[in-house]
Amino acid sequence: MTKSYSRFITAFFAIFLGGLLLWHLVLPDRDRSETENRTLAQVPAFTWEGLKDGSYTEALEEYFADQFPLRDSWTGLKARVEQLLGKSQFNDVFLCGDTLISKVEKPDPDLLSNNLSYIQRLAENAQANVYVGMIPSAAEVWKDKLPYGADTWDQSDLLVSAGEGLPKVDFNAALTAHAEEPIFYRTDHHWTTLGAFYGANAVLETLGKELLKVEDFTVETAAEDFNGTLYSTSGIHWLTPDTMEFWVSEDGLYVTSWRSGKAEESSLYDRSYLAVKDKYSAFLGGNQPLCVIKNEAVTDGSKLLLIRDSYSDAMAPFLAQRFSEVHLLDLRYYRMPASIYAADNGIEDILVCYSVQNFISDRNLVLLK
Amino acid sequence: MVFSSLIFLFAYLVLTLALYFIAPLKWRNVLLLLVSLVFYGYGEPVYILIMFASILIDYTHGLLVEKYRENDKKARWFVGQSVVFNLLLLGFFKYWDFLAVNLSALLGVNIPVLGIPLPIGISFFTFQTMSYTIDVYRQDAPVQRNILTFGTFVTMFPQLIAGPIVKYKTVARELNDRVHTTEDFALGARRFCVGLAKKVLLANAIGALWDTSLATHTAGELTVLGGWMGLFAYGFQIYFDFSGYSDMAIGLGQIFGFRFNENFRYPYCSASVTEFWRRWHMSLTDWFREYLYIPLGGNRGGTAKTLRNILIVWFCTGFWHGASWNFIFWGLYFAAWLILEKYVMRDILKKTPALMKHIYTIIVVFVGWGIFAVEDLNLCGGYLSACFGSASLWRAADIYYLKSYALTFLLLVIASTPWGKNTWHRLSVRAQQVLTPILMGASLIIGTAYLVDGSYNPFLYFRF
Repeated sequence: MTKSYSRFITAFFAIFLGGLLLWHLVLPDRDRSETENRTLAQVPAFTWEGLKDGSYTEALEEYFADQFPLRDSWTGLKARVEQLLGKSQFNDVFLCGDTLISKVEKPDPDLLSNNLSYIQRLAENAQANVYVGMIPSAAEVWKDKLPYGADTWDQSDLLVSAGEGLPKVDFNAALTAHAEEPIFYRTDHHWTTLGAFYGANAVLETLGKELLKVEDFTVETAAEDFNGTLYSTSGIHWLTPDTMEFWVSEDGLYVTSWRSGKAEESSLYDRSYLAVKDKYSAFLGGNQPLCVIKNEAVTDGSKLLLIRDSYSDAMAPFLAQRFSEVHLLDLRYYRMPASIYAADNGIEDILVCYSVQNFISDRNLVLLK
Repeated sequence: MVFSSLIFLFAYLVLTLALYFIAPLKWRNVLLLLVSLVFYGYGEPVYILIMFASILIDYTHGLLVEKYRENDKKARWFVGQSVVFNLLLLGFFKYWDFLAVNLSALLGVNIPVLGIPLPIGISFFTFQTMSYTIDVYRQDAPVQRNILTFGTFVTMFPQLIAGPIVKYKTVARELNDRVHTTEDFALGARRFCVGLAKKVLLANAIGALWDTSLATHTAGELTVLGGWMGLFAYGFQIYFDFSGYSDMAIGLGQIFGFRFNENFRYPYCSASVTEFWRRWHMSLTDWFREYLYIPLGGNRGGTAKTLRNILIVWFCTGFWHGASWNFIFWGLYFAAWLILEKYVMRDILKKTPALMKHIYTIIVVFVGWGIFAVEDLNLCGGYLSACFGSASLWRAADIYYLKSYALTFLLLVIASTPWGKNTWHRLSVRAQQVLTPILMGASLIIGTAYLVDGSYNPFLYFRF
């Protein structure tokens, strides 16, 4: 190497490393990442104890990575390189053409059998009718879209066996019948409003209620730039964003939320979420311990309790068309026996309604009694 | 701290280089000592004390050996003391629990298991410091009278935690007096980028496949195809991880004006197991040959003695890699192949076509990785027997993984051969000049992208 060329290479190396360090130092730290939909690590406080047990350096590294300049571009670049290498799996998300499908991890067998037994326990304790509905993930309904042999846990056995002996809502059949339609988001793990509509009809059918018709609703396009959770975890940022729709009109529906322990007036859609990344939370305003939707137009006094996860939020507005009251109770935040809640509120039907991915990993079902 | 982390690349390395080259020449050793202590203390703050003890004891013993140069018996006594100290250090921190469990079971006594976390890199730095007193005694290297300079040798961060094992005599002169040139910096930086690419882009890219195969085996679903894919994944992972680390160490050393010996020379291109071990982790095999095999008498004492020496050396080589039976078996497994090649297969191998010899070597080595990678012996035996046909041939998921990793495997195979290097040397100087910054930039940029995403970046040598 000539002297001048050596200088050039030395400068190149030093400027790349030093330049990014300077940029990192100058760049103000962000509180949260919209793209990844999570709070970012901040400068950790130094303690000798933390240094000794390694927690300080760990936090420091997390801070350094979270606040790294152009963070989103780096993760996107990695996904592009992986794609070039012929990968179809990006951080446990499969890229299937224009659609992202989340991989389902093999569940811990003990946790799964416990969770299944908690449903039976609820059925024994409750005076109300207990129904079970397992919502298959896109990896099941859209398994034809997955790459051949894709290593994802087979949900079909659980879909059949969950809630043995109890009346069941067959979400799988309802969704599979419409597998050609956009029933799941392409960039998010949830079902779309259309998927939730078919899901709601499956519930109504099982409970012997009159089914809903597509014509009864006017579709409102709520957002056309929805990049969901799979967009974030996969690092695949080059797909067309999803469109999110609201079908059910808010007129005549009264929503009460218990976000902080006391009842507050709420709404069917929290449109403030449409302006941020986490658009799906616009349905009922996202996760909360307890939420009740009242429909004055239904006068038979029928009440349905949903033991919910986030999938129920898109479906509940539809169910509210046929029940006087729909209650959504989240075991992660509402820590009281569901059977007692049902009895106290004169509820005759309880639907344990979980998406498979949540059901096989949730550790709060122990509260189901 | 490890090289393949954002905090090393963009904070530690930048500041270290800046301070080092701003500092006047005579302060540079002290500076290197200080930053190396920070490097080590970052992850192991308490174990910095081991560094101090090592420096102090080996430094004193070097002086004592020198002082009693005329009185060989005394000099040998002090060499012995230093070796025993280093082995005790290694023995206590690395092997106590293993010995306690096995001796308790064997002798029916109850030796307590201490569960002390292993100081990172202890197997590397104890071997380095041991070489010092021995080199001084053998007059292969002059005694080091400056304790700070000696401390620089003991703690030098480039090769501190994952090798190569640098013998004192290799760097003795450069410790006292070395030249820093821009060309060394540029070449060192280039070498560092090669190592970074090997570690982050190649090793990490394939490592996850091994984890998948092992998990599949634990779940009882491993197939022949899946088993072999896993063995190849692990073998490529450890090679590119380890040699990438060595490249980064050698590159950093060169930036600071040190010349470390090469550690790997395309081991997967070997045509026999014997040749493999002349190309794999050369600094370790050299160390054992020079400080153990030859002092034991090497191959000069007749067949029986040679066999004994080979077994001792390979027992130690295996055991050095980790305090667990599978590592011992792994070492002895190679001892068996080496003995076979030396005494039984020599004439057969001579007549075997080159391609067959390569295939034979690859199979022996990669089956070896199966022993190396799975500590639980039952699990290990089950895995290997699945590879050799006790399981079904393949399942759909294997095809999925084969497709996902086909291109990666192809790149790994190409990168395991000298093809890239040869092609590089055939390029015109002009082309090299244009390509160097492009390739370095690609390594740094894509490497950074993988580190920022940071989902999979294991440090494989925590057992060493």
